[in-house]
Amino acid sequence: MVKSVLENSGPESRLQADGRGHRPKVELRSQQELADAHKARHKEFKTFVTLNVEPHVEVWDREQRIPDSAISKLAKCGYLGCSLPPEYDGRGWDVATFGLLNEALGRGSSALTGVLTVQAMVTMALLKWGTGEQKRKWLPPLAKGEMIAAFALTEPGAGSDLQALATEFTRNSDGFILNGTKRWISCAQFAAVFLVFGKLEQRPVACLVPRDSPGLRVEPIIDLMGFRAAGLGQLHFDNVEVPSANLVGKPGFALSHVAAVGLHYGRISTACSALGLLRGCFEESIAHAAKRKIGDRTVGEIGMIRSLIARMGTDLEAGRVLCHNACRAEDDHLPEVFEKTLMAKYFTSRAAVRAASDAVQIRGALGCHGSSPTSRYYRDAKIMEIIEGTTQIHEDLLGKIFVDRAGKFGK
Amino acid sequence: MTAIDEKEIKETVRSFILSSINLPDFKDDDNLFESGIVNSLFAVQLMTYIEKTFALEVGMDDLDIENFKSLNATTAFVLKKNGG
Repeated sequence: MVKSVLENSGPESRLQADGRGHRPKVELRSQQELADAHKARHKEFKTFVTLNVEPHVEVWDREQRIPDSAISKLAKCGYLGCSLPPEYDGRGWDVATFGLLNEALGRGSSALTGVLTVQAMVTMALLKWGTGEQKRKWLPPLAKGEMIAAFALTEPGAGSDLQALATEFTRNSDGFILNGTKRWISCAQFAAVFLVFGKLEQRPVACLVPRDSPGLRVEPIIDLMGFRAAGLGQLHFDNVEVPSANLVGKPGFALSHVAAVGLHYGRISTACSALGLLRGCFEESIAHAAKRKIGDRTVGEIGMIRSLIARMGTDLEAGRVLCHNACRAEDDHLPEVFEKTLMAKYFTSRAAVRAASDAVQIRGALGCHGSSPTSRYYRDAKIMEIIEGTTQIHEDLLGKIFVDRAGKFGK
Repeated sequence: MTAIDEKEIKETVRSFILSSINLPDFKDDDNLFESGIVNSLFAVQLMTYIEKTFALEVGMDDLDIENFKSLNATTAFVLKKNGG
């Protein structure tokens, strides 16, 4: 139960990969070597969280901001470019390791993990669909954490229905003029560059837009229920000039291919982050259940509490298997990776909501106070069901995938 | 797959398409995307499948619906990428 299956990748996996879009150098290692390597990395990540996140996370949540020093520490460890190949100053880690990093950070702070999520969404989309010049220009500073990126997709009138994008690019002599509004953009408050989605002559396009572009105004969004320190913001584009060199992918493919790659990595990150939050709920709950006494019994001796903990622990193990399978499928570049990732994110985000609710219930009044991480888990967990595709969008996609296989199982 | 053979490519891709979507009367020139048979998720699934199966990489320059619109188009794309 305690040993994470995320730590047990198979022999054909590799700790060192060079990212989607660049066929990795397959480095065959024994299953035990890989398991040991992943375990060592996971331990490193958990130590990072213990030293650099847990002591500060309640302050970040209360003040609704992550200090630059915390993001600098992520950058110094190479975590912000961990999935990018070394040729772009990344660490070239495999996705199983990326998953472990998100799980460990998710245990500490969903908001800080959000920085990692968004950085991966932009950089992996750029790695796959950027031109050579774009990759050479943007990826090294992003990998080193010298700049933070944000994924500007959602709009006031376009959330789950992305075809309804109203942000508009029009051509001018040197490129495009951008007008529109983006809302609920994670990391907007401190991002240096935005990957902005909109329409050009009715076709979806994606462009990199630097924060200091004249005509771009960033309005912070505060007082969210959860992810309070994630620096969300609204972006207002008023005749912003965007050079044609900043177009990522080709017109017409921004949603089906560019956003798809970004959202896919966002789902892997969020699934594993929710798994970390679930582990936090579980660890807090069993510690409290073992120690806290009611009369002459511990809380953990009460059958109804045991039921809650049993469900939480089983969800945790099931979530680990789903996240592990998704990460492995991505490392092996299998087409089923998309549905495995949808399943992992769908399961862990919902399980995190259940676990956070139960963790508060087990702690009682103590769990409702800001001094207890369970109150933050409770608020953050719900956000996991909404970001990178709502639970209902996941159900719609997965339901279609399964129904389309009618009569094909077992053949 | 080492020997690049058009028929083998077509049957391999056909098998993947039919395993993913419910389409009993699927023809080689049916436009998958115009007909609304598939969603955008299938587009990246198909791309990933051909990258993995035929050891090629779909890059920015390959983003053209003509390359993936049908079974025949995808087969021709794979052949072209592999120097066929």
